[in-house]
Amino acid sequence: MSFWRRKKRDADLEEELQSHLEMAARDGMEGGKGKREAEQAARREFGNVGLVKEVTRDVWGSRWLRDAADDARYGMRMLAKNPGFAIVAILSLALGIGATTAMFSVVYAVLVNPYPYANSDRMVHLVVHDANGNRRYVNLNGPQLQQLRQASSVESSAAMDGWDLTTTEGDLPENVQGVYLTSNAFVHFGVPTLLGRGLLPSDAPEGQDPENVAVLGYQFWQRHYGGDPGIVGKNIQLVHKTYSIVGVVRPRFTWGDGEVYLPLKLTADPVRTYFPMIRLKPGITRAAANAEFQSLLEQFAKQTPTHFPEHFRMAIEGLNDHFVTDIGGTLYLLLAAVALLLLIGCGNVSILLLARGTARQHELAVRSAIGAEGSRLLRQLLTESLMLSFTGAIIGVALANSLVKLIMNWLPEFSFPHEAAISINLPVLFFSVSLALLTGIIFGISPALQSARPDVAQVMQANTRKITTGVRGRRTHSVLIAGQIALTLLLLAGAGVAMRGFVRMMRVNLGYDPHNTMSVGIPVHDNTYTTWEARRAYFSQLLQKVGAMPEVDSAGLSTNATPPSNGWEQRFEISGKPVAEQQRARVNFISAGYFSVLRIPLLQGRIWDESETMHGSKLALINQTLARQYFPNGDAIGSEIRVPELKGEPPFQLAVAGSDGWFQVIGIVSDARNDGLRNPTKPSMYVPYTISMPVWTQILVRTKVPPLRILRAVREQIHTVDPDQQASRNVRDLDGWITTQPEWEQGHLVATLFAGFAILALALAATGLYSVISFAVSQRTGEFGIRMALGARPKDVLLIVFRSAAKSVTGGVLAGVVVTITLNRVLARWIQGSSLDAMILAGVILLLVVTSALSCFIPARRASSVDPTVALRYE
Amino acid sequence: MAEKRERYQNRIELLQGTLDLLILQTLQWGPQHGYGISVAIRNRSGELLQVDTGSLYPALHRLEKQKWIRAEWRISENKQRAKFYQLTAAGKKQLTRERSKWSQLSDAIAGVLNPEQR
Repeated sequence: MSFWRRKKRDADLEEELQSHLEMAARDGMEGGKGKREAEQAARREFGNVGLVKEVTRDVWGSRWLRDAADDARYGMRMLAKNPGFAIVAILSLALGIGATTAMFSVVYAVLVNPYPYANSDRMVHLVVHDANGNRRYVNLNGPQLQQLRQASSVESSAAMDGWDLTTTEGDLPENVQGVYLTSNAFVHFGVPTLLGRGLLPSDAPEGQDPENVAVLGYQFWQRHYGGDPGIVGKNIQLVHKTYSIVGVVRPRFTWGDGEVYLPLKLTADPVRTYFPMIRLKPGITRAAANAEFQSLLEQFAKQTPTHFPEHFRMAIEGLNDHFVTDIGGTLYLLLAAVALLLLIGCGNVSILLLARGTARQHELAVRSAIGAEGSRLLRQLLTESLMLSFTGAIIGVALANSLVKLIMNWLPEFSFPHEAAISINLPVLFFSVSLALLTGIIFGISPALQSARPDVAQVMQANTRKITTGVRGRRTHSVLIAGQIALTLLLLAGAGVAMRGFVRMMRVNLGYDPHNTMSVGIPVHDNTYTTWEARRAYFSQLLQKVGAMPEVDSAGLSTNATPPSNGWEQRFEISGKPVAEQQRARVNFISAGYFSVLRIPLLQGRIWDESETMHGSKLALINQTLARQYFPNGDAIGSEIRVPELKGEPPFQLAVAGSDGWFQVIGIVSDARNDGLRNPTKPSMYVPYTISMPVWTQILVRTKVPPLRILRAVREQIHTVDPDQQASRNVRDLDGWITTQPEWEQGHLVATLFAGFAILALALAATGLYSVISFAVSQRTGEFGIRMALGARPKDVLLIVFRSAAKSVTGGVLAGVVVTITLNRVLARWIQGSSLDAMILAGVILLLVVTSALSCFIPARRASSVDPTVALRYE
Repeated sequence: MAEKRERYQNRIELLQGTLDLLILQTLQWGPQHGYGISVAIRNRSGELLQVDTGSLYPALHRLEKQKWIRAEWRISENKQRAKFYQLTAAGKKQLTRERSKWSQLSDAIAGVLNPEQR
């Protein structure tokens, strides 16, 4: 019953009884009594008004509530009386609940509820696997999309295209990520806009150019317009075209990470392809959809063979599938780690409660003796533990809030959907409250059961001077301590594995020098520099301007070759050797200066010169791995290789004539990482960038000062060549390219969080051990006094204390080692690049033993320095 | 205090069945407030049965909770606000049941007390 309803009922009852008294008095007066006399008589006959009220209230059945309030008040008093105990217990829980809540909110946002789109569980990407099992997204041209829309498993489909646009209003052009959507896309997504409207069919009328309207992305609206609420109706100029702003999308609508959404008109041009977005009909299985799309796409592949791999197998993917394989395991691993932390925290509180239960035996026995039932005491004790756990949960949620922000910064940028709203929201809070309830019961129940049924006779008769404590309590303590130590060992071992893997990755020999170098992305605008000659001249002019800057040491072009994960993996052939299907290399398009910028040494032969670049000469350099693997006799230089797929596709990809012909190998360069930080270097070849130029390139700049400091100057130089040319957003130095590698970010996340959790676990376990030993020592002060009076030396007492702890610590370590080795396979799968070995295990055991010894030492010394005369008078 | 309370509660238990029956029977004649019920029972029993308020009010609230009677604030004949209780349909059925139970019980007791009359 709510508080307010109870108040109302109380007032009601009061009035009811009052009216009874008044009516009785009135009857008395009618019977001839005086007013005072009649009132007194009525009151006498009625009896005790307060008592009547109380027995009537009992009928309402809310007695337990009033009892609970009493319990809480009493519990509060008990906690306030033992602030040290309360603080340690609440902090143990707050850390556990906080960390678990934070991890859960990440798991919930990224894996459970990532997308705001309508029926997002039925939205899929068209993905095919080629003959080598590589996955590839499929883009389709206009007519193919129309056909796809008619497919029987498709409920709704839309298409998108992306271009880097630029603002042309400010002093320097700013990059704007433009996402072009077919006009049905906003209906397809089913997410209302924040302001104004989304794109409508009337924005792209049949047979006409689309209207110049734009819907802004939330982030862009915040950044560029400061969240101006009156933005709808204003104009934005992009690449000299004026668009009228018709709406702003909601924060979680981040499809394609778009900054502006513009209407897309599908053309019939077979070369022009778009990214399809599909929602399946309800009840259509992936297998059924795959079967239908397989035959459809095979038909498309005959029309436009270059858009598809030679042999492919359809494998559509849900929106989140890729992220789940990318980071799902890692997140669940971290969630398991914090769950362990929480268990250790619970163990701590259990230990503290047990110890205090023993200390409170007398109090509980007295309460039991004067008539408290066992169930009543149990409830009292459980109320106390729930108060602890809820206080812990409140602090924990506050902690979680900051931890979530930290984790968000550390999440690999492209390993989670940007639609995910990682925050402490309602489901997460519900989770925390359940957690608090659960933990309150888990750690509270066993101490409560032990303490709630005191053996009254024994306790009351017992001498107040205790010689030793009961064996039962101590055994529970030992088991709890051993359990804590085992779990801590598991966490420490996991942290050790993760950290070693990460450190190994950081120390990897890159083969190039990333320091003082940055990569400035150059997105080329639609319909500009559309001939090979024009684009070649443009790129070389950009390179020249930047290379001439005084702060610049050297500069080079790297169309697709910025390490540590670079190149376009393709099948290649060697002249005069049989063609092997599996023969693959990473093709890099670069300028001659690339190697000196990155300080990659040339081992043999030469690099092409300027005039060869300008002619698009078919020359190639290969890396050591390719040379070793395919030219074991050292006859690489002078041989000829070709990449059959190396063709142009104007106006987007502009290739020199005969680009799919034979290239002469003129040199061998040293290996540099090209497949991330973990995998071995793949065979790769380098060709002049002029061979094939897409609508994108990068200028690599080695600088004499910290590179990002001169970014603005570089942008100004680019501006002098083409006033509309922007640099891509998020320009990073090459160290930044390393730290944004998914494996680096993932390793960093796991290593840092795991280490943090493990250190917390160690601290908690140490606190637990310390509390148990201190408690045992205080209980046995009398005993130690007697022993010392009988001639025991401080050393002997120290030994007794250590021996009592040694058993549970040893048991815990052994159990922990067994568990860790059993779980090693699981760990190895989720913490990539490292696995458990004897070194880590030995280190972890040493750390645990030393920490345990330290937490025993302080109370043990207190015990051994006790003065026998004081100890015997103790209590 | 605790002792007195115990005494009240014991008496409720002692009278529970019969008091409920008496209340329901009294309300059979029309809506009545607590004081009116106690007066009616006293009068009709020839001043023999004195209903204790410590039993009456818990009983009324319990019957209300069981939905056998319904409470409503009204103005009494003396122009005073009072809480009137009234039988519900379920209450009427319950009254019939209680009455038959009571007559069975009194028959049975009479049979035990006066075996020769059977």
